[in-house]
Amino acid sequence: MPPDGPLQKLDARVKLVAAAVYVVAVVAAPLGSWRILGLLACVLAVLVAMSGASPIRLFTRWLGFLALVGFLSAVTAGGLAARAQMSWGAVVLNLLAKNSLAFLMMLVLVEVAPWPKLMLAMRRLGMPPVLAATIGFMDRYVNVLRDELDRMRSARLARSFRRRGGLGLGTLSTLIGVLLLRALEREERVHAAMTARGWDGTIRTLED
Amino acid sequence: MHIPDVLIEGRIAAVTTAIGAAGLAYGLRAVERKHGPRTTSLMGMMAAFVFAAQMVNFPVGPGVSGHLLGGVLSAVVLGPWAGAVVIAAVLIVQCLLFQDGGLTALGANFINMGLVGAVGGYAVYAPIRRAIGGRRGVLIGSMVAAWFSVLLAAGAFTIELAILGGKGEFLRILSWMALVHAVIGVGEALITGLVVRFLLLTRPDLIDDAPGDDEIDGLNGRRSPGWLSTTAAGLAIALGVAVFVSPFAWDAPDGLEFVGGKLGFLPEDEAPPILAAPMPEYQFPVTTPAVGVDHVKLATALAGLTGTLAVFGFAWLLARVFSPEGPTPGKVEFDAA
Repeated sequence: MPPDGPLQKLDARVKLVAAAVYVVAVVAAPLGSWRILGLLACVLAVLVAMSGASPIRLFTRWLGFLALVGFLSAVTAGGLAARAQMSWGAVVLNLLAKNSLAFLMMLVLVEVAPWPKLMLAMRRLGMPPVLAATIGFMDRYVNVLRDELDRMRSARLARSFRRRGGLGLGTLSTLIGVLLLRALEREERVHAAMTARGWDGTIRTLED
Repeated sequence: MHIPDVLIEGRIAAVTTAIGAAGLAYGLRAVERKHGPRTTSLMGMMAAFVFAAQMVNFPVGPGVSGHLLGGVLSAVVLGPWAGAVVIAAVLIVQCLLFQDGGLTALGANFINMGLVGAVGGYAVYAPIRRAIGGRRGVLIGSMVAAWFSVLLAAGAFTIELAILGGKGEFLRILSWMALVHAVIGVGEALITGLVVRFLLLTRPDLIDDAPGDDEIDGLNGRRSPGWLSTTAAGLAIALGVAVFVSPFAWDAPDGLEFVGGKLGFLPEDEAPPILAAPMPEYQFPVTTPAVGVDHVKLATALAGLTGTLAVFGFAWLLARVFSPEGPTPGKVEFDAA
């Protein structure tokens, strides 16, 4: 991903708001309005080209969510089709197309706006500071806990017999229980350390 | 289940976003009042935990696996609104970073899993816990709450998805959703129960409003539940039951003529359940012929009954460890890797 593309240089706030507006426009487009959707698809295509994101990557991510979206569209299409007086297949296709546009736009947003920038943008756009700080904290420790989980998993594999059959519910739940315990105890230590350094609940960053 | 963009209609998306934002604002204020400057680290760490724990896949069958949802678990450990805030943080990251759940459906997803799942689940948990008392109460309460939270979330999901689609459409989807989530709910209850039990055996003080020493055996510290929480729990449980029963009940207007002509509901009740297993495999609802709808309803009600009983049974089984005859508490080994 080129770090100096035209979209990458844009302020993250602009990108976030623009993506949100686009998604809302897609959702608000009336059922069966293929022309509007075509127009929006052109906008998306231009943005994808500008972003320099790999189309194959976008495509595979899109494919991964297609099953769920297809299933849900098929389930909901019945009532919509009756009201809009369209055929069931057309409604399903329409829902799929609309969802794909919204989904790809969010994907492109993440491609051109790194997560820390996006977080900062959300905070500046009026997200409650506590929520922003919480999400930042979560972002910081998610990988720590994930590594912890991996270590526990390999320790278990190294020491125990590999059981075939059975659900392994007890073992896996204990794994999660230990993870919860360690997370909470880590939080106690981290909170003590933060308090010792003068934490009073307001977050201060270099960008402020 | 995360609702993607577009699948709920624009009007519903607008309404749910507004409700979700208001609920989150209230929840944040409640959590800050309770935890003060510790809010960030507590909520952030718990959200990180839920995120990581959701990656542990429980094999359910060939090719199928489920994972912990965590709403009730975080509510039990940190309190109802904290549970909702934790879920909100997880959902926001999943939506923006992983495109899991749509941007316009963020409010709806938060209502389902945060407000209904965690806060509603806690409303079920609190009175059960007080009524039974002690650690056993915590365990049984959290398991029953986990089961109901999944069902209530499924009910809310169906309302958002299909409320504008007409009554028949709505009930058809509701039946199927309830059926599927009766199974998912048992899994969530089991995992939640095992994790809560582990926590109770190792660090019971970490549970929100921890059972005190006098309460620890569930005999002395029994408090009578307050009327407010009892009402809330009754309401939540009634809603959960309604998810199962409504396909029958709301059919009544259509069935009135039928009832007038014949005698009550007897003919319908006597229809033998064709599905031998209480949890039939999931079929594609659209291709289900209209004839099968009644059987789906029957199976749904049956699954509700079986699931509720099963969860209660599992909960009692797991709670044996806290009874005087069971293994002594505190002797559990956890493998410190």
